[in-house]
Amino acid sequence: MNRRKFLSYCMKGGVSVAALTQLQLQAFQGSLSYNFDDHKALVCVFLFGGNDSLNMLVPLEGEQRTLYEASRQNLAVTDALQLSPVTEFAGGVGLHPAMGSIKNIFDNKNLAFISGVGSLIVPTSKADYQNESVPLPKHLFSHNDQQATWMHGREKVSLNSGWGARLLERLEQGGSFVNNISLSGTNPWQTSVNLTPFSLHRSGVSKINPINGTGNRASHVKSLMNRVLAQSTHPLASAYGIKMQNAITNTEAMNSAIESSVDLSNYFSDSSLSQQLHTVAKSISVRETLNAKRQIYFVSMGGFDTHDNQLTTHPALLGALSQSLSEFNTAMSSLNANDDVTLFTMSDFGRTLTSNGDGTDHGWAGNQIIMGGAVNGGEIYGSLMTQHLDGPNDTRGGRLIPQVANEQYFASLAQWFGLDNTELVDIFPNLTNFNSHTLPFMRS
Amino acid sequence: MFARYVYIILIASLITGCGGGTEAEEQVPEPIISDSDNGGGSGSDGDGEGSGDDSGGSNNDSGNDSSDEVKAPVIAIKLDSNTFKQGEIVKVNVEVSEQGTQQVSFVWEQLSGPEIALTTTDSLEFTASNNSTALDEKYHFLVTVTNSAGLSTQQEVRFSVLKNMNDAQASRLLHQASLGPTYNEILAVAGKSYEQWLDEQFNLPITYHSPLIESFPDRDEPNQINRIDAWWKASLNAEDQLRQRVAFALSEIFVVSDLNTSLSGEPEGMAAYYDILLQHAFGNYRDLLEQVTLSPVMGVYLSHLGNEKADPERNIRPDENYAREVMQLFTIGLNELNLNGTNKQDENGEIIPTYGQTEIEGFAKVFTGWTFAYSARWSRPSRNYTLPMQAFEDYHSSAEKTLLNGEVIPANTSAEQSLEIALDNLFNHDNVAPFISKQLIQRLITSNPSPGYVERVAMVFNDNGEGIRGDLAATVKAIYLDNEARGLGTPLAYFGKIKEPLLKTVQFWRVFNAKTLNNRYYTWNLPSTYGQGPLQSPSVFNFFRPDYQPGELADTELVAPELQIANDAALVGIINTHYADLVWRVAERHNELNENSLYLYMQEDHDLINMNGLSAVLDKYDLLFFAGNMSQEMRQALIDMDEFFASRDSYQRISNIVYLISISPEFTLQQ
Repeated sequence: MNRRKFLSYCMKGGVSVAALTQLQLQAFQGSLSYNFDDHKALVCVFLFGGNDSLNMLVPLEGEQRTLYEASRQNLAVTDALQLSPVTEFAGGVGLHPAMGSIKNIFDNKNLAFISGVGSLIVPTSKADYQNESVPLPKHLFSHNDQQATWMHGREKVSLNSGWGARLLERLEQGGSFVNNISLSGTNPWQTSVNLTPFSLHRSGVSKINPINGTGNRASHVKSLMNRVLAQSTHPLASAYGIKMQNAITNTEAMNSAIESSVDLSNYFSDSSLSQQLHTVAKSISVRETLNAKRQIYFVSMGGFDTHDNQLTTHPALLGALSQSLSEFNTAMSSLNANDDVTLFTMSDFGRTLTSNGDGTDHGWAGNQIIMGGAVNGGEIYGSLMTQHLDGPNDTRGGRLIPQVANEQYFASLAQWFGLDNTELVDIFPNLTNFNSHTLPFMRS
Repeated sequence: MFARYVYIILIASLITGCGGGTEAEEQVPEPIISDSDNGGGSGSDGDGEGSGDDSGGSNNDSGNDSSDEVKAPVIAIKLDSNTFKQGEIVKVNVEVSEQGTQQVSFVWEQLSGPEIALTTTDSLEFTASNNSTALDEKYHFLVTVTNSAGLSTQQEVRFSVLKNMNDAQASRLLHQASLGPTYNEILAVAGKSYEQWLDEQFNLPITYHSPLIESFPDRDEPNQINRIDAWWKASLNAEDQLRQRVAFALSEIFVVSDLNTSLSGEPEGMAAYYDILLQHAFGNYRDLLEQVTLSPVMGVYLSHLGNEKADPERNIRPDENYAREVMQLFTIGLNELNLNGTNKQDENGEIIPTYGQTEIEGFAKVFTGWTFAYSARWSRPSRNYTLPMQAFEDYHSSAEKTLLNGEVIPANTSAEQSLEIALDNLFNHDNVAPFISKQLIQRLITSNPSPGYVERVAMVFNDNGEGIRGDLAATVKAIYLDNEARGLGTPLAYFGKIKEPLLKTVQFWRVFNAKTLNNRYYTWNLPSTYGQGPLQSPSVFNFFRPDYQPGELADTELVAPELQIANDAALVGIINTHYADLVWRVAERHNELNENSLYLYMQEDHDLINMNGLSAVLDKYDLLFFAGNMSQEMRQALIDMDEFFASRDSYQRISNIVYLISISPEFTLQQ
């Protein structure tokens, strides 16, 4: 029985969607069996447009600073906040001054950076790139394709899936929609053949008006809606009908759980990202009610495609991002969930070191943020790259070749989340091309 | 019946070399050819003057009085009409006069039109076909009548078979080709042929959006919501529905957005951009591409406005944004395509990229030196968002520019010349026809067109039959008239597409005449309620990608782009929106109407259910919402839905029936 028939069968019989996907998933298990008693959550903050993340961590003095200023010209960051990572770097390293609100989290060792990370298939030198002597990710510098490599965690294949979805499936946690929640719509990271994220409105609760209430009218309308939604045999119409039925079932279940959540509104401000993280926090607060063991959340922030006016827009974006992260960190502490929740960033790509006048273009390598009680914080992992135009890692125009594959970054998170070391390469196939599969930024 | 006979009388005489210039003349000795050319004025369009025609016969040849010389036959063609409907009997009859008892023979020859079995008698008779294609059939015959003396007369006859739509066919076409038909529109279109309706639509005056923008009463300048209000007014009321529908489709290919961008402060510019799409929807794709490229709104959105040539001193190089997206999204896409829209493969079976970084840098240089029209200086832009951008040579790259297929613009070519060369280079790439044709088919007709369908449309895009490339009217016509679109031949089990949430609402608002008392459509939160709003995509990649495959279809080859925005939150939003519109906002259920609130009006259907009962309403809705294809299961569900409300007021009955239709998969699928 395929999923569609199975679903339609369950709908007629009134079996809950959560139960049915759990059963269905048994076909997608790996060789190992997983069973968790504790709760962990991964919160992905996707920075859409390609964050100029090389400008989040900048050299402060000496030759590195000179090279940086020569490359960046009018877009060079001044007045950076000095960081003292465990590893020292020539020229020192400063945090973008707009990101002050996460500096103390870094100092308290609950936040780390991974540097020089990007999509890579094999370790790639400048000569490799120029001679095309190694396989390169397809469609470098293209927004949606590079977003896809971050979300898929592997090169494009005919039947693709997101690494978040693969991770849940492999850990046998895909069965319940509460484990796969998006505050920012459908996205490839959480999508696979069997999984689609449950979309939660950022206000948290979504009433379904036609079937709201307990009277005869509501139950009559509901039974007819369910009947009609299960009726079509056309593949597209049927896919729509299944999505509708799932939306109704899932929303009702989530509504009743979130209504019992702790009031966290004092911790969060009004920005879109803060509101999304607020709802993530509320949902995490009812993790026991939801019986959630392993959850992945997707939130996002847009506007990072700073082709122009970067001097004004980028600091504002980084400021809002840092503020929201800081609020979330406090809220997690209040729930005593800090050690169980890890937040991390992804973005399309880093940007060019060169300016196009008042902005930057699509680049490649960049820096990312990891935050949470389980993070070996106060450190910069990977490779803090020289911001050197035409330097050793510059393909051209200041598009730097990553020194860490994003799959290594993801594997480190997946390992903390509970995936066995032996199964990392099943989820991230290009890891076999790299000596180390993970970086030590998570406490095990 | 009401036949107006068409007599074409021909008096023959033994004139040699009466050069008619048609190809038939050398076939018979001394033929005399008359072209009955019905369209040309001699036929039935003569408003009953047919009987007058034969007077020409009697007085035409005064030399026939007492002579014994043998004459060629005098013939007249009798035809019931010069247009026929499907299924009608077409009968062409030749009447021969003044031949006495002489034997004459008849030879029929078909010069154009679908092949018909020919006879050797004085009449040609066949049943006008009704299922082969949706194209009107234009027939052209030549009949030669020869008498025993071997003298011949020839005559041509032309007529058409129109593919008139019945009610259901009209409804189906209008679901594909308008923003959602009303009942009266369906009835008005039924009886016309597909081509007639399309041609009518092509020729209607354009309903532009800019003139429909009204500022708030107390403001001089319009707000973002005022241009969305204009979009609603045009979508709900415009006669040129096909153009509005195609422009909406184009707005999802040539994407600009004022959602969370600085363009939200430029409603007049946004409306002017939409007007470009409307203006060129049936024009040439090359012109559309140029107008889009030079639009300051696009220039701001993809940042080629104000883009400068390289300045190595300052490590500044041209912005690559538009260069990349114009190739990836507006013209050729990432991979080399076959004419049928499938990917080409190299000898290793790998896809072939259409461009690399070199071409991106080449095009990036092309798109330098452009800023707002009427800017006094480069550094003092006018911020005119409605006129095409103008070039400043000093800021345009004078370097060599590498384009597609190895074409190079030589150094020191001007900004305007470079642009023309570059857009021609894009326009003439082999990918454009399949890339654009397939996306238009997906936006208008079906998510999964067969390769053959794409190829047939792409061929028309490449050549409209008159050697012109990029004719969008011809392309649109080919899209709608194709057998796959019309459901002729073997239908595909997966034919059709999921209706976009915004367009579902437009139909309900059109059907039930949604309006506010002050005639304003201030729909503030379209993207958060529907997941989409006009020119409000979250990125240049549109609300959904043409190759999006939802998990539910993962074990198939099928895509369903519109389901990319069908996430749980949006679906619940759509349920609530339809419910609010169709149940809560019914004007007749309110004692007092609020000036600023939107209401739907259901009096007509309310009367229908009270006078003629539920089945009359369901019959009407079958045609109106399902193009006559409502399944028995759907009908039964609506009957059962009504059972609960039958004892209540009839507005609730209508409301709840329509609400259930609105969320049903059967209605949500456009077929």
